[in-house]
Amino acid sequence: MDRATTSAASTPHRSALVKRRSKSKSHRQSYRSCSGGAASRIGLTPALTARRLNTSRKAPKSLNITERVNAEHLALLVKTKWKLCYATPLYQFRHTMLKSYARQLSAFIVAEKQRGLAVEVEGAQNHFRASFSVLQGLAEADDPETILIQIHSKPLFSSSEEPQRCVWSGWLSCINGNLDYLHSLPQGFTCLPLFGSSGTEVLTTLVKSWCQKTFDCSFGPLEINYTSLQWFMALLTNCHTESNIQHLKMIWSIPVEPPLQVAFTVSPQDAWELWSSVRTATRDLADPGGCIDFEEVERFTQGLKSHFYRHFRLDLSAGSLKEVSTALGGASINGRVKISNSRYMITTLALLTECALLKMPI
Amino acid sequence: MNDPGKCLLKRVIRRIPANMLKTTLSHWGRVSDAQLQSVDFTTSKWALTEKLLNICEENELTVKHVTELEMIHVIDYPNLGMWYAFQLFDPDDAAPSVDMTQFKEQFKFHLSKLMRNVSVKIKKHTDEAIWIRVAWGDGFSRPNHMKPTYVVHHLQSSYVFVTRLTSKLKPLLSQALVLSTRYQGIKDANLSGRNLAALRNLLMRQYQQVFSTKFSTPLAEKSENISNPQIEREQAESATKRHQMACEAFGDGVLPQLQSAVYKLETKFRDHNNKTMTDREEPFKCIVKFTSTNLLESLRHCASSGIASTPVTPLLSSVPVKGRNYFVITDNVPGSSSQTNRPQK
Repeated sequence: MDRATTSAASTPHRSALVKRRSKSKSHRQSYRSCSGGAASRIGLTPALTARRLNTSRKAPKSLNITERVNAEHLALLVKTKWKLCYATPLYQFRHTMLKSYARQLSAFIVAEKQRGLAVEVEGAQNHFRASFSVLQGLAEADDPETILIQIHSKPLFSSSEEPQRCVWSGWLSCINGNLDYLHSLPQGFTCLPLFGSSGTEVLTTLVKSWCQKTFDCSFGPLEINYTSLQWFMALLTNCHTESNIQHLKMIWSIPVEPPLQVAFTVSPQDAWELWSSVRTATRDLADPGGCIDFEEVERFTQGLKSHFYRHFRLDLSAGSLKEVSTALGGASINGRVKISNSRYMITTLALLTECALLKMPI
Repeated sequence: MNDPGKCLLKRVIRRIPANMLKTTLSHWGRVSDAQLQSVDFTTSKWALTEKLLNICEENELTVKHVTELEMIHVIDYPNLGMWYAFQLFDPDDAAPSVDMTQFKEQFKFHLSKLMRNVSVKIKKHTDEAIWIRVAWGDGFSRPNHMKPTYVVHHLQSSYVFVTRLTSKLKPLLSQALVLSTRYQGIKDANLSGRNLAALRNLLMRQYQQVFSTKFSTPLAEKSENISNPQIEREQAESATKRHQMACEAFGDGVLPQLQSAVYKLETKFRDHNNKTMTDREEPFKCIVKFTSTNLLESLRHCASSGIASTPVTPLLSSVPVKGRNYFVITDNVPGSSSQTNRPQK
């Protein structure tokens, strides 16, 4: 259980300006404003203006990360529904100091919990134990390694022999972060923009405020907008031939009085056939696995919406897409995600990292 | 009183709202006025339950009596579970003459023939509805009073409303109902919801309906300083027209409270932008579920606000017109654009 000791000293410090050949595709050129509202932000520096949601992305390779990632960590990532936030770059964060962070965070939580108590409670220190560990195997290219934070505790009235249970988990991650952006960060900053948490709101707030104090960063809610939800839908449907999506479910909310909710569930095979029908038209033969263009994604949603309209003469565009899900995972507009299949973990996290970078205030 | 009786009493007391407890108990009539006076209704539910258990012991009440109390409560608060509508069909000549006593005897007789250990309680409510409570056992066990099925039927109507019925027991109940009402058969009416009165009103058309008329209501002048009277008028006209059509489809005023409608679509995918899918032979299978606190009002607002195009599609207006909220939609004839609603079974 003692994962605090596993901090990997070998992790290179990625925050500094690294002179490295840009990836084959220059993001700045391929970025175009897409229909998502957040896409049209105006940046301050050339590097920052590149922060638009990709209009084209690689089809998810089914990556077998089970060999690269600790099985216990992977099980935690897969079984949990995560509440997401964005986090601004961390200042003076070192992957080599995780042990000391764990001590500091434990002390911070205990101190906050004891606030307002007149007497120091005996053994309160043992009630909360934080651990920091590196979630190795997720990061790609220049990404800093993902950090897993866990808080273990004992129920208040339990016997001393009882082992501590994990009551809160969270992680800070950056997968396939925009290289231009990562390289434009000043010395001393580590970019881990995606913060996922699962556990009580009280502990989440405590962890956030400790991070804010220690690394001079700030957190904000990460809404997954319409554009990203559409991406989610398409990327997950695209996986159907490799692992069955079971169903494709969309939940729309229509702004009428009283509010109307529409759950639209498509059978897996039909969703896949519709998806391939909108793809084949533009599939580049030179690049079979290829890139997926946002235009294809839009055609896919448009197809689904028009099928709906043909029956109900009700325009779903008048409402908003709240949630999409398949057996491989799902996401909702309020920033809750579940990734049920480890093979598509990297693709999903890459998309979310992009959302987080976009959400971040400039 | 035995243990099942005590358990049931505890649960019923817990479910009855505190401010209704005294009224419900006096309505029950198994506790004397003097005993009721002695109970302090301001104490906690837990203390009240203890006190009432003692009184019931004193009066030598049994499970049977407690089930009466439960029935009174369920009749007062019917909207706590999901109700399913069933429809009787092909009445015998004798069907219209079935009266309460006859029905009661017949139902009990037939059900006990079908199932040995079954406890039936029938009560006539003020609005002419017959309320039936069935506690099921099986060949070896006594009736389980903690999981009763409730059935509501209006004599001389063909509708039956049922809640908390398992699919295993459905054939038994159906058979007993068919025999005792003198009908030939019973089928699923494909209508369900939490509000019993709403289901009844919908099926018996007891809500404010609007009929299509040539002369719609005269247009009321709205604002004084109109920038462009022509445009204003035109917009107002189309808005009124939309509203009129929405009301024609779903009704006016307060509408019966339905929570959801489900459509199972198995129709061809047709999109002039997508030849591949349009040419495909197989239907495109999907399930659409609409949910709202009051579905019909939401749909009416969709139509009147223009989110749903008018005239309203038969698929949506079928909910009030046919009194159903579950549909399986398939293409009528291959190649034609019309759809039909096929019943569930």
